[in-house]
Amino acid sequence: MTQAELSELVKRSEFTPVAGLSAEDCVTLYYYMQLTRTFEMRLASFYRQGKMVGGVYLGTGNEATSVGATYTLEDRDILAPTHRDIGAHFVKGESLRAMALQLLGRAEGPTGGKDNGLHQGNKEINTLGMISHLGAMISVAAGAALASKIKKSGQVAIHFIGDGTSSIGDFHEGLNFASVMELPVVYIIENNQYAYSTPNSKQYACDWIAQRAHGFDMPGIVVDGTDVVEMYRVTKWAVERARRGEGPALIESQTMRMRGHSEHDSADYVPQKVMEKWEDKDPIDILKNYLRDWGVLTDVTREQIDEQIESEVEKAFEYALDAPVPEGPEAANGVYAR
Amino acid sequence: MAEITYIQAISEGLREEMQRDESVFLLGEDIGNYGGAFKVTKGFVEEFGEERVIDTPLAESAIFGMSIGAALQDMRPVAEMQFSDFVSTGFNQLVNNAAKIHYRWGAAVPMTVRMPTGGGVHGGPFHSQNTEAWFFHVPGLKLVAPSNPYDAKGLIKAAIRDKNPVLYFEHKYLYRREKQELSGDDFLVEIGKGRVAREGEDLTVLTYGSMVPTSLEAASHLESRIDVEVIDLRSLMPLDMELIIGSIKKTNKALIVHEDIKTGGIGAELSARITEEAFEWLDGPIRRVASIDTPVPFAPSLEEYFMPNPDKIAAGIQQLWDY
Amino acid sequence: MRVEVVMPQMGESVAEGTIIKWHKQPGDAIEKDEILLEISTDKVDSEIPSSHEGKLAEITVEEGKTVDVGTTIAYIETEKDADIESSDNGESEKAEVAEDTAERSEEATAPANGEQIETKGRSGKDFYSPLVRSIAAKENVSQSELESIEGTGIGGRVRKQDLLGYLESRGTKPAARPTKQVQAIKYTGPMENVDVVEMDNIRKSIAKHMRTSLDTSAHVYSVSEVDMSKIVAFREKHKAEFQRKEGFKLTYTPFIADATVRALKDFPRVNASVDMDKGEVLEKRFVNLGMAVAIEDGLIVPVIKGADERSFLGLARETHRLANKARDKELDPDDVQGGTFTITNPGIFGNLYGLPIINQPQLGILGVGAIKKRPVVINDAIAIRSMMYLTLSYDHRVLDGAVGGQFLQRIVQYLEEFDGEGIL
Ligand SMILES: Cc1ncc(C[n+]2csc(CCOP(=O)(O)OP(=O)(O)O)c2C)c(N)n1
Ligand SMILES: [Mg+2]
Repeated sequence: MTQAELSELVKRSEFTPVAGLSAEDCVTLYYYMQLTRTFEMRLASFYRQGKMVGGVYLGTGNEATSVGATYTLEDRDILAPTHRDIGAHFVKGESLRAMALQLLGRAEGPTGGKDNGLHQGNKEINTLGMISHLGAMISVAAGAALASKIKKSGQVAIHFIGDGTSSIGDFHEGLNFASVMELPVVYIIENNQYAYSTPNSKQYACDWIAQRAHGFDMPGIVVDGTDVVEMYRVTKWAVERARRGEGPALIESQTMRMRGHSEHDSADYVPQKVMEKWEDKDPIDILKNYLRDWGVLTDVTREQIDEQIESEVEKAFEYALDAPVPEGPEAANGVYAR
Repeated sequence: MAEITYIQAISEGLREEMQRDESVFLLGEDIGNYGGAFKVTKGFVEEFGEERVIDTPLAESAIFGMSIGAALQDMRPVAEMQFSDFVSTGFNQLVNNAAKIHYRWGAAVPMTVRMPTGGGVHGGPFHSQNTEAWFFHVPGLKLVAPSNPYDAKGLIKAAIRDKNPVLYFEHKYLYRREKQELSGDDFLVEIGKGRVAREGEDLTVLTYGSMVPTSLEAASHLESRIDVEVIDLRSLMPLDMELIIGSIKKTNKALIVHEDIKTGGIGAELSARITEEAFEWLDGPIRRVASIDTPVPFAPSLEEYFMPNPDKIAAGIQQLWDY
Repeated sequence: MRVEVVMPQMGESVAEGTIIKWHKQPGDAIEKDEILLEISTDKVDSEIPSSHEGKLAEITVEEGKTVDVGTTIAYIETEKDADIESSDNGESEKAEVAEDTAERSEEATAPANGEQIETKGRSGKDFYSPLVRSIAAKENVSQSELESIEGTGIGGRVRKQDLLGYLESRGTKPAARPTKQVQAIKYTGPMENVDVVEMDNIRKSIAKHMRTSLDTSAHVYSVSEVDMSKIVAFREKHKAEFQRKEGFKLTYTPFIADATVRALKDFPRVNASVDMDKGEVLEKRFVNLGMAVAIEDGLIVPVIKGADERSFLGLARETHRLANKARDKELDPDDVQGGTFTITNPGIFGNLYGLPIINQPQLGILGVGAIKKRPVVINDAIAIRSMMYLTLSYDHRVLDGAVGGQFLQRIVQYLEEFDGEGIL
């Protein structure tokens, strides 16, 4: 849905902006989060129906973090997402159709079937494509921010990092370097409590990953990552600070991976109690309540949006499923830039 | 004797070595309660405890560094890479540290690195690579690549008992596809010894890992016309040159098949060695059937084009035979 | 329309899945995304939602069964017609991929992986491989000889097999090539009902000789029939008297030996051996006739020395003497050496004929079948005659079919024309 279409639905009279977010902004955030959820649930079904090749990694529980943080960016800014950030891609401007084509490995998709998952980059909207090797993008995001600093372009970069990923050596190298050079980059830990089957207790010994920011001499902030407004507020602060040339920041979003690591994983290593606790903190439900309480959206209009999203997602997949797979010999092309 | 899969053979080998030798322990991401991404170590924590089956943080370089440290104190660590592709983030510890210690100051580094390898499973560029050639160039490392449950078990045990860093390339495609009956005996497969997977007179196919069953299939398609010998190298470093050269002297034609890309692969070295040692015995050029020189593409149609398959190998055999 | 439900892949290395439970039965209505069944793989158990709305038409894989990923496990009947629906069916793409790659595989095989590598510059005919060059050097094959060889490789290149074929027909020893080490297949089954019998030395050496002979000579065979009626009649008439005079039975062997010796004198090429290294055939001007004798647990071939200088009676006496010695295991090494041709008697057990293996380094062996009364056509009338088959195994490296055939016919002729004049 377009911003204009969404604005139509908003009851804006009674609303005073929260954290700099207008009523339209709040509805737009809802749209992206719900879109993310709907899109991903389709993928989950497709996986079980044998329509997907390879693994499917979902960001259920991560919608507020991914969408809220990315919503702070301007078009010119740089986004380095990770594997649970479909929402961030959408906010930054990736189309549903491109996303569907990518995840189904179709010829027309952004990687033409050469790479899988959320690995696409897009120069037009300034997203950097990740590699599977976790941690590798930390200094790449710093490098993009370095270019901004050299060019004085005023661009800021955001990069998402998993809790598990924070253990790898690249984390230290990247954050240290970014801080030394006072680069306009904001690192956001998506602390979803698990790295595959590994709980935080086996991943790190400190209380918060954000504590480490101190050692790099940058701000370290822990946020409730299920509350999109909080997520937006804190990230906005860090982004503006970076844009002013005051250097990087580390934000730790506390959230939960509400499904298995990937769809083949039943996640039975997660204690039932833990799961239940987080089920009460579904980021989309939290926003729904806000919208209702603030009188921004009635349940009826919200359902209208939901239906509209359903049909957009359906259309994107209908197109993608029908789209041709790449021709074999295409495999040989594109290794070198010409 | 019960039939077991390739992946079960690896588990059995690990379990037997852990039972036999207290100094053997495992470390890797998600290998504990979860049993590993491919479930190789399922049930190991229950049997051996968390001290010997260590769930590590996501940090390959640290996994190798810790393995080296423990090995220098006479432990026998077995490190698991979740996918062999991720070995690159620990590269330095393997090629500059583990590989060179004995040469430099005489201390043995008895560690094993398990490397779930290879494509054909639609894993895309970062979950499908054959990384053996990265290490083939590094003196001090041993490299093995089993193609069947017997060798999988015999080689993991031999790797653990070896005094050197051994990279053990286990092919994901074979995990649940290759099955065999194995006796419960404590057997080893010697590192450095290849195996004749199929006897033949006309032409030798030199191969390893997932391409062994694929080449055998190609050979059986051609059976009525060409009598193909298939050599399963099993050990990539050291290579069993005696077996290889003996076969070339018999058949006089060599086709090298590997799933790794062609340029700079194991096949390049094999080809050079054969020319050096058996030039006068060649009745045709040494040829290779390998993956094309690109990253491993994701879409099945692309991956199919990328990799060797029985038809492509059969065509390679036929062309070389006709030469 | 009917759409397939397939076993999904639940993890990268998973090749198969087991159906735990069908939540719907054939005939049940099902909503899109409603749970249709539960499956289990060795990585995970999972509930599988339906990809379509409609009716479960058929279950093709029952609960508890394990099938490969991608196998059709059920069909759903949907309302929509085929045209619209096929677009939503993941299977159609898979089929496309499969077709697509199948089509391509022919040309793809070569350029992509195997790569058709052309020999540039020199044409196939002018290029000799290192192996061909080294064999040629070893065998003294000149450049012009090499050029004269018809190559069967690409572009007419002379391949290993072409050169080896040439050398064989040129009659020179082919280059030392590791002989094929055939790994004999061994019995590996249960041993409870198997008796293990040690091979003695005789058996081992027979085994070795037989194998060597087949690996050495190019065996060919001719078979002929002999009318033995005259000889049978002659023997019937004289056997009692013979037994009394000589003290042993008159057998058919001396008749056959006599005819064979005479034929060998007519065809010296058969009474010969060959030296492939030197490229020479050694024709013997004497006949030492080997006579295969079955003994208790084996077979031995004593040799009648100077058979061509012996009379019929002489042949009969020597045959008897050597056979006795053989059965008593008293043969001297000298008794079994120096044969130039051998006769063996597969007919002794009543068999019509056998195809014997040549006794190296000889070039031929005669197999004698059983004498049986058979109706035969003589001058367009049927008569009952005592017939016998003779088989000749001979070495095609040196003996052409013409020589072998004529030689055998000559033996037949001598036997049939037997008149018995004054032989006793
Ligand atoms: C360097 C590296 N090692 C191992 C892996 C395999 N792997 C993929 S995802 C994952 C867990 C990641 O956990 P985390 O960083 O917390 O991100 P999450 O998946 O929880 O969002 C692992 C170990 C990898 N991708 N990269
Ligand atoms: Mg995590």
